[in-house]
Amino acid sequence: MKNKKDIINRRSFIKASGIALTGTLASPLMVTAAGFKNESLQAWSCGGLAEAFIPASREYELKTGCKIAYTGAFAAALGKSLFGSATTEVFAPRVLELAQKLKKAGKMLSFQPLCFTKYVLLMPKGNPAEIESIEDMAKTGVRVIMTPNASAPGGKASLIILQKAGVFKQAKKNAVMMGDCVQTAMADLIKGKGDVAVMEQRLTRIPSFRDKTEQIDIPEKFIPGKPVPFSIGMMKWAKNKELAEDFIKFILSEKGQSYFEKAGFIPARSEEGERLTHKYGVIDA
Amino acid sequence: MLNIKRKISQIVFLFILGEFSFYGIFRCPFAVPYTECGSCPVVQCPGKKLWLSFWIILPISLLLFGRGFCSWACPGGLFSDLLSKVSLFKGKIKGKADKILSSIRYLVLLASITFIFLLNNPRWAIPIRTGEFYNSIKLTFEHANTFWLIRTVCIIIGFSLVLIIPHFWCRYLCPTGGLLEALKKISIFKYITTDQCNQCDKCRKVCSVETRPGEINCTNCGDCSNSCTVNAITLKKRY
Repeated sequence: MKNKKDIINRRSFIKASGIALTGTLASPLMVTAAGFKNESLQAWSCGGLAEAFIPASREYELKTGCKIAYTGAFAAALGKSLFGSATTEVFAPRVLELAQKLKKAGKMLSFQPLCFTKYVLLMPKGNPAEIESIEDMAKTGVRVIMTPNASAPGGKASLIILQKAGVFKQAKKNAVMMGDCVQTAMADLIKGKGDVAVMEQRLTRIPSFRDKTEQIDIPEKFIPGKPVPFSIGMMKWAKNKELAEDFIKFILSEKGQSYFEKAGFIPARSEEGERLTHKYGVIDA
Repeated sequence: MLNIKRKISQIVFLFILGEFSFYGIFRCPFAVPYTECGSCPVVQCPGKKLWLSFWIILPISLLLFGRGFCSWACPGGLFSDLLSKVSLFKGKIKGKADKILSSIRYLVLLASITFIFLLNNPRWAIPIRTGEFYNSIKLTFEHANTFWLIRTVCIIIGFSLVLIIPHFWCRYLCPTGGLLEALKKISIFKYITTDQCNQCDKCRKVCSVETRPGEINCTNCGDCSNSCTVNAITLKKRY
């Protein structure tokens, strides 16, 4: 009798262990593959990240079966809405200060570094004015395209770069266009209406602009720090915190980050990204 | 039969251009919509793929059928067609009043040309590059400047006035309609009335735009072609 009881116990133990093991092994798969099926998550980001977020979100939707309701627009405007009555579950803002303010206000629960933008000199194919450095923007006869009235990251930041490089006054004199939209400026540059512009590298990856410009790096000492880092964080309105966390985890995974690299950003989870994270202090303290 | 063909054409073009038209009014950040699509940051807008074809096809349609685009393809025309059926003041605006009101669209056209060619078509709203349907519209309104709000509210009011006067937008405000109206004389095909016309005005009564063939605001829709009791309406080939 005792032996039979032992056998039953052993059988029960093996059975229970099997179930537990299967459950343990299957649970992560269930969470990512089926656990979020038919659920939805609202994610907002700075508009500049749209080219990366759109395919990354689509991939996440295919992987999990959930729906990502993504909105990409000027981060400062979205931030203003979030300080008002608007809500979202995940937010990827530009400018570290915005993430910090949202966290301080208790609207963002936590954030992590997402990626970094890169400002470069862009010239039309063939580089007709033979631009070699930012200093060349001050040379007489060089047609400069400027976008002082574009939203701050494209407008103000590029002006600061010219100021720091000591070529602002002359470059302004050389300006053939003072626009309010970086995409219109890019289109004009490609058409050859200008010889050079300070732009973000990301613009060169937009399908209609791809492979239509030449670029030269701008020394880092001229780059203002403020508009460079992007972060991603969970908001207090996240209905399913596990889903929000899983989405952020995916965006920061090797696969997720590859979309940001393709879109012309420096992924935070890269050697260069880690250096910039440290440099700009993108830490959720 | 022609009327059915026209309705089918309008529905087909609604599928092709409907969303683009909608984006132009509610999401386009520029002063004059439908013109900067190639470099517009709103990635969701179908105009990115359509606008060039649109601006190539429009002059071709003008050359062939004058304002035919308005009655056979424009989603705004379809919208006006449907709502004009319930307009309060049908047949009340005619003659001089019709002509005076029709001139407003040339002012709108002039303003549009000025914005596009002289003022570099300024951006009056923060582009919501991509987003959910209602949320994006809400955000566009929230972060637009006063000029954009005035422009958009004027368009909405202009379209809504169809409930009072048939085809109000198409007849009096639409700058594209104004451009086509001003140039429609060059069209190869157009409906006209022959010498047999006895001025019974039956054609005007069946016309949703309240005009007669070949006259001001005639959009070559052909709805009147079978209404004439003396067969005085004909589709004329110009050249």
